[in-house]
Amino acid sequence: MTPGSPEAVIALSGVHAGYGSTRVLHDFSLTVHRGELVGVVGPNGSGKTTLLKVLLGLVEPTGGRVEILGRTISGGRETGRRTRRMNGSLRRRLARRERARVRRTIGYLPQLQAPPALPITVDEAVLLGRWGRYSWLRRPDSEDRRIAAECVEMVGMAELARRDLKTLSGGQRQRTSLARALARRPEMLLMDEPTTYLDKSAKADLMVRIIDLHELLGITTIMVTHEEVPGRDFDRVLRMEEGYLL
Amino acid sequence: MSDIIAALSIPVIRHAFLGMLIAGGTLSLLGVVIVSLHLTAIRFTLMHIGLLGAAAGMSLGFAPGPGAFTLVLVASVVMGVTGKRFSISASSVMGLFMTGSLAAAFLLLAIAGVPAMDVFGVFAGNILLMTRLDLIFVAVLGAAVITVFAVAYREIELVLLDEELARALGVPVDLVTAGLFVLVGAGVAAALRLVGALLVDAIILLPGIAALRFARGFGSALLLSALFGLIACVGGFFGALVFDLPIGASAAAASTLVLALSVLLSRLKN
Repeated sequence: MTPGSPEAVIALSGVHAGYGSTRVLHDFSLTVHRGELVGVVGPNGSGKTTLLKVLLGLVEPTGGRVEILGRTISGGRETGRRTRRMNGSLRRRLARRERARVRRTIGYLPQLQAPPALPITVDEAVLLGRWGRYSWLRRPDSEDRRIAAECVEMVGMAELARRDLKTLSGGQRQRTSLARALARRPEMLLMDEPTTYLDKSAKADLMVRIIDLHELLGITTIMVTHEEVPGRDFDRVLRMEEGYLL
Repeated sequence: MSDIIAALSIPVIRHAFLGMLIAGGTLSLLGVVIVSLHLTAIRFTLMHIGLLGAAAGMSLGFAPGPGAFTLVLVASVVMGVTGKRFSISASSVMGLFMTGSLAAAFLLLAIAGVPAMDVFGVFAGNILLMTRLDLIFVAVLGAAVITVFAVAYREIELVLLDEELARALGVPVDLVTAGLFVLVGAGVAAALRLVGALLVDAIILLPGIAALRFARGFGSALLLSALFGLIACVGGFFGALVFDLPIGASAAAASTLVLALSVLLSRLKN
């Protein structure tokens, strides 16, 4: 299968990316197909989070091409006369629009955060995952609330739906984050060290839920982590080091 | 009662009452932002900037109040913008402004030959000096605060909850944060005029801290903050009239009482 073909949900080719003068990803190429569960394992500083940021459109690559769900969010080749004539700012605006469209199709699960200073119940926190479907001028409607409630149920948090996040354990907060990522009805899930800072049993519980939900929903998933993942449950486990895929 | 009604018929007292009413019900919402974004050092910074503004005003031959008010307002806009453009943390921006403004204030005072003690009047404030223009500013600012929270309720909630997540979802985090920063600065500038630099917390911060002890969500935090702000400001205002006390200090005492009661009640509840 070639990068950019319809079955490839993610296609990165020759991507270079970093922050200022620090280059983190070097000539990075990766193709992920629809429905795959891919683990990316590597030590801290190997570029895993930067890879996710590139996919989320939060870090602009300095070279290479990034295609997600058939949309080029970075490094598209201008072939037509119209696109060749476009000035830089228009091209950047179009890329920004493409990134915003792609972002609406991505569910993101970050690593465990400290409990927020702001009080928020589980169901409200999950509803926030619908942002992008609703926004400044459109408020969440009954459909958004129904989907959020369904996702709360899916991760086994229905009984705790009205509890404040601050009163929950780390594992329960991560399950809430997983529900929030699912509430977007995403075509792709990106997980950044989801089990870090959890105790052993909460780690195992979350991992089982992620694998079961992947089996049930078939959402293309990339999980980056510095910990080992159960290889038999993943379609592929890739290794990263110093910005290179090994 | 008739004494209070008679007092309210005096324009200066009426302006003061309306100022406290609007500030209590609207500017207190900013306390929730300050606590959630860990910007509690901001009022300390803006206090120092107010001192510079007062020094600049007096060096130019004006009263210290308007100088402090104007500079705090300008500084909050600059802080919001520079914090984003140079990608430096809010605390770095605050440190930069705090030290820089203090140094500049004392240099200005020395050059202009203004007695340093005259400038410190800005710390106490005097709500009875509030002009019609000041009142209009507080009302417009109050309306702006309510509008921003109404239009960008979910976006602000996401930013306060988790900036990284908000960014990943596509929320314009820098824009929202800069906007909040400017609102907080403008709120501090208005409170500076109402109760003086030392008591800014009474209107802006304390109602928010008290509200977060009881709130079950962002919405209830905002509503409780407005309620506590109103109790502190309006209660403090009438307390001042009844017991013949300074209005700013009375409002600050009422605000402290509200916070103390909230701490006590939440302890008992838990």
